[in-house]
Amino acid sequence: MRASIILVLFLAAAVSVSPAIATAQDSRVSNMGQYSESSASTGYFRQSETLPGSYQLYLQGHEVKGGFWGIGPGGGAVKRQSFSADAHAGVRNYRPNRDCASCHTQSVKNIHTARTTVTCRQCHRGQPIAGIHHYYSPLNPIRRHAYVCAKCHQGATANFATYLVHEPNPLAVATAQKFPALFYGVWIMAIIAGGVFIVFIPYVTLWGIRDAAVISAKKLIQKARDMGQKIDEEAPS
Amino acid sequence: MIESSVKIRRFSSVQRLFHFGLIILFMLLSVTGMAWMYFETSWGKGLAALFGGYENTLEVHRIAGLVMLAGFVGQIVYLITKIDWSRFPGSLFDADSLIWRWQDFANFFVHAGWVIGVVKETPYFDRWSWWEKFDYWAVWWGLIIVGVTGLMLYDPILSAEYMPGWMFNIALWVHRIEAVLAMAHIFTIHFFVEHFRRSVFPFSATMFDGGMTVEHIRHEHPAWLDRLEKEGRLEEMVVPEPPIALRIIYFGFGYAMILLGLFLLVYGIINVFLLTL
Repeated sequence: MRASIILVLFLAAAVSVSPAIATAQDSRVSNMGQYSESSASTGYFRQSETLPGSYQLYLQGHEVKGGFWGIGPGGGAVKRQSFSADAHAGVRNYRPNRDCASCHTQSVKNIHTARTTVTCRQCHRGQPIAGIHHYYSPLNPIRRHAYVCAKCHQGATANFATYLVHEPNPLAVATAQKFPALFYGVWIMAIIAGGVFIVFIPYVTLWGIRDAAVISAKKLIQKARDMGQKIDEEAPS
Repeated sequence: MIESSVKIRRFSSVQRLFHFGLIILFMLLSVTGMAWMYFETSWGKGLAALFGGYENTLEVHRIAGLVMLAGFVGQIVYLITKIDWSRFPGSLFDADSLIWRWQDFANFFVHAGWVIGVVKETPYFDRWSWWEKFDYWAVWWGLIIVGVTGLMLYDPILSAEYMPGWMFNIALWVHRIEAVLAMAHIFTIHFFVEHFRRSVFPFSATMFDGGMTVEHIRHEHPAWLDRLEKEGRLEEMVVPEPPIALRIIYFGFGYAMILLGLFLLVYGIINVFLLTL
């Protein structure tokens, strides 16, 4: 009896000081690296990533903006239809066989459409086309990586799937709200690149003219000297 | 008195090798990068076809990028071995060093004055003029920006384990803008300043044979010449003129690269309005 009590106490003490068990009980605080530890390596997802309970069902478009000091995408206005099961419900001139780009003219201006053969319906799927924030949409962030991205990008994770296929125009003022990091990053680069040429193109042009003029003057002086003329060295070049 | 047509050693063979490697990799990255950027145009498809389609083009681009970054690391190691540690950090600001000194900023304004005709004489440049220092460090900041974003985009699936996927939206734009800046700068300003100015036209082989004529130095780097004469090192730095065959190769290679650069520049501008983004 006494031996078994000692054994139980010993085990309890061992368990309580064991670092492995202690960390396993910690809740993860940081978002960074979570996918590398779970989803990317095993393909399994934590409950919080797959169950609707942990998401605010109708606010998933904004959900991404929370991380990374709010500089990522997800800000600005979100279309009401993007939450419906049929995004085109009530659109009078909509026909299922209509070319998507005939209305969504801006949506085709992206690398996926321009440089590859991916079509709209490969990702947005068939009739009725659900809004991307609708819970059962294949493009809903909780399954987008598996249902859509991974068809081409093998091994795509939910983290990977936060890439914006339909990115806003980086230079547009509205992008400062929608995707601040893109807006400021691209503007800074554009100013650096533009600045270099605004300074150097006129500078180098004038330089070329000046250089040619100086050489011409030097050649003239040399020629005159060869002909035996006396040249004032201080003559303007 | 040394003859004006004699060449003085300006670049060591290691430095010339670095520059040669940079040319090859830069041009390879330019062609493959432009092929992908212009892939929706027939010109871009044609460029990509040279490498066997866009997937192979991107693979060549990725590998060339890695080699270039390795060269960058090599350059840093090379610099560390070249620093005179006995006089560190003062040796960093030597006249032979590429580090910016206050004198370079002053020289820039004097040179700008000369360019617009206000100042009569060009600045008393030592071994490196301000634009040569600018060109050298431009490769540094360019490579850091293109290199970091390039590594992020190398394998997006892998990168997404360490950063959110929307970072690739930014990385792609930054990579592209910096690359366009670098190409446009090399194909216009660098080529013009180093080869097309009347005093160096049609071709300056200094970076290829490593030597610069005394006449050219007197014209463009008078302080360096005076310093070498004062220290009595001028005679020992004389390099022989390379054989004619080598000179033809330098000229041919140089102009092939210049024409390739201008080809990319002109066709890039012609086709830019066909791009969706």
